[in-house]
Amino acid sequence: MATNHVEDSLYDSEAALRLVDAALTELRDDGDEPFTDRAHRLSTTDASPIGLLGLSRILVRAYGEITNLLGNLRESRAMLEDAAVERLQHTHDKLREVSSATEVAATDILNRLETAVTLVDVLEAGDQPVRTTAAASLRDELFAMMAAMQFQDITAQQLNYASSVLVEMEQRMAQLARIFDPAAFGVVTGTPTAPTGAFDPAASTENADVRQAVADAIFDTNRRTG
Amino acid sequence: MKFLVVDDSATMRRIIVNSLQRIGYTDCVEAADGVEALERYSSAIGFIITDWNMPNMSGVDFARALRARDDGRAVPVLMVTTRSVRDDIVAAVAAGVNNYVVKPFTPQVLKEKIDALLTGAPVAAG
Repeated sequence: MATNHVEDSLYDSEAALRLVDAALTELRDDGDEPFTDRAHRLSTTDASPIGLLGLSRILVRAYGEITNLLGNLRESRAMLEDAAVERLQHTHDKLREVSSATEVAATDILNRLETAVTLVDVLEAGDQPVRTTAAASLRDELFAMMAAMQFQDITAQQLNYASSVLVEMEQRMAQLARIFDPAAFGVVTGTPTAPTGAFDPAASTENADVRQAVADAIFDTNRRTG
Repeated sequence: MKFLVVDDSATMRRIIVNSLQRIGYTDCVEAADGVEALERYSSAIGFIITDWNMPNMSGVDFARALRARDDGRAVPVLMVTTRSVRDDIVAAVAAGVNNYVVKPFTPQVLKEKIDALLTGAPVAAG
């Protein structure tokens, strides 16, 4: 029985080797050279392009590269998740605020201009007391229009923030691309220019009264305890 | 009274200066950042209005540097800024800012804060 088991194992091993041999033969057709001679030659000759030794080296190298690639993919996914998702969403929100703020400011200014035109009509047609009142009202409307122009400063900060996020994303994408193909992506044409000037990433035209109340409360507390 | 208006936005400086003129303060000098503000500051300045986010030197750093000067300890400093999180406001207090206006502001709010600082009266919330 033991002898039969050994023979079966040898038979199975030989069969497996013949399968490998057949596969290798399909890859490289070297004529009728005996297997043992060919295997010995392929295992000891560096000159042969593939060979058994070369094939094992290729497999080991491929395994290493695939493992490395998987590691890079995990790292790049973590980088993207960490950097991109939240900040891009915040950038999207800020850009929406820019649209909203400019529309609100434009509407406010147009409304006041219409009121100003009406007041000019009153100035032309009215008697002195009415003109004095109308002139004062007109002046109020004009100053209010000036105050409405604050949206320019705030939206500029919002746009500068959005631009800085895009520049950072571009740099991160270039880093990721270089991981996969330094030869192709090693050189970045042009240097992304971050927006100049300081800006508040949370700049907003919304809920100014609520935010003012927070500031007032803190300063009031400081005065009482100071 | 001479005002020093500090903001890197030329639009904001114009708005603030116009608001000051509206309430009777016509003597204003301007600076575009904290460094320029320190250069322009003198004991002739009676009130400072400053932004926070500025290149070269922020408004908070400017306030801190101003308070370190012998001639800068007592001048009222009103910060006018978009920053409104609690930690920022506390930092402004620590830097020596006397009061705070959140952008966008109404001319009325600006006037109230200025009046309160000049008279020493408590400032009404909101």
